[in-house]
Amino acid sequence: MNELVAKITVCIERGKVNLASPYPKDLKGQEGADELAKQAIAGGVGPEVILASCNEGMQRIGAKFGRGEAFVPELLMAAKAMNAVMAHLKPFFAAGTVKPKGKFVLGTVAGDLHDIGKNLVSMVVAGNGWEVLDLGIDVKPAKFLDAIRNNPGCVVGLSALLTTTMGNMAATVKEIKTQFPSTVVIVGGAPLSAEAAAQMGADGYAPDPQGAAAFLTKYVAAV
Amino acid sequence: MTNRRESRCPGSGSVSLPDGTGTVPLRAEAAELAFGFGDLAVEREGIVGVLGYRDGAMPEHFGELLDVALAEAARRCLPRAGYRLVEAGRAEGRFDALTVGGTVFATQKIVAGALGRAERAAVFACTIGPALEEWAREQMAHDPALGFIADAVGSAVAEALADRLHDRIELEMARRGWRITNRYSPGYCGWSVAEQHALFALLPAEFCGITLGESALMHPVKSVSGIIGVGAAVKHSDYLCDVCTVRDCTYRRYHERRGTNGGGGAHR
Repeated sequence: MNELVAKITVCIERGKVNLASPYPKDLKGQEGADELAKQAIAGGVGPEVILASCNEGMQRIGAKFGRGEAFVPELLMAAKAMNAVMAHLKPFFAAGTVKPKGKFVLGTVAGDLHDIGKNLVSMVVAGNGWEVLDLGIDVKPAKFLDAIRNNPGCVVGLSALLTTTMGNMAATVKEIKTQFPSTVVIVGGAPLSAEAAAQMGADGYAPDPQGAAAFLTKYVAAV
Repeated sequence: MTNRRESRCPGSGSVSLPDGTGTVPLRAEAAELAFGFGDLAVEREGIVGVLGYRDGAMPEHFGELLDVALAEAARRCLPRAGYRLVEAGRAEGRFDALTVGGTVFATQKIVAGALGRAERAAVFACTIGPALEEWAREQMAHDPALGFIADAVGSAVAEALADRLHDRIELEMARRGWRITNRYSPGYCGWSVAEQHALFALLPAEFCGITLGESALMHPVKSVSGIIGVGAAVKHSDYLCDVCTVRDCTYRRYHERRGTNGGGGAHR
């Protein structure tokens, strides 16, 4: 069984979704994350163990991404493989056998339509065992505030790609911190830096999707 | 180049060239120019670079997805592009603003500096239409890598269209003895995207089929708008990003990956 779990991790890391998937080329014709997860569950492997294998796989590809050894398409293939596993774990989440680590409210700030980075964060964080509420793109502060109100204890992630929408991001952080001072907010996006994040009053800065997942892991350990 | 959409608004007029070689449209009223997908010369290798890959390192599977996305782009993109020539110059007493078509724009210093000696500005907009972005969004649901690559193709096609429009404006201005600057868009170089509303107010409603949302973002998303300085004393910069102090700008990264620079690529 350990071998099966290790294979799932490799399938996530390499983006091998299922038997029919032609990617990656060297794994063509082999079983993927989908079939292996199904076999693991049938063999009695605990869902939390399978979830941990997803996390490990995503961490590995995330680390490659951070080092410039892999790019967004590889990350998306890994996320797709992870989603194939998550589909098998869904009944365990629904039954409460596996509990999400928390709720993560995510959106691209007002004035910005870019969603690729946000979607990557959503996939990686979900693969890390969080329930993700994706508010979409061009999200006004009021929508974030409503989501926080309706999801007490959630962590909020704000994304922006345009340099000029950083102002909207700062305004959104300010609104959130004014109305919900204890709500933890992390920010990310191409024009940002840790310094800019701190200046706008955010609790954390995620340079990439893996950084968001790492921040949330630290957050869970701290509370 | 096709003549599918070539048209000028009534009253836009034209001037005869001194050498008798023909006329040049004044474009005092906004006019759409004709471009077909085949005119755009979209560079496949440039997209590969934007995706992050160098020296043939892109996995074969993603190369196949890129070819699928390029074929869809050829089928689905409906390029529309045009511009209007208006009076322009530095806003009185300000180093960070321009007056364009009678409207003061707080463009910030980089854009105001580049167009400070302009006598006119070409206010332009172009789009590839909504069909490719809709298709890319559909792919994201079941094949996110294909959706992402299709989105990157859409951005490249829109920039290629803006490049061709830029070429055309340069040609039309050169025939009148004028030079042009790089193009500048709200949302970049410190120029607030909110000024998109004022910019589009200088163009006819729904020019090229583009509308603005409440947050001043364009629909279709794969659209480019902005201004190009025109005059005898303006110049084009080959190294636009070198004069900008914003290190983490999306465009800077775009050009670094594409292997061009801010003066030679998207902002030409």
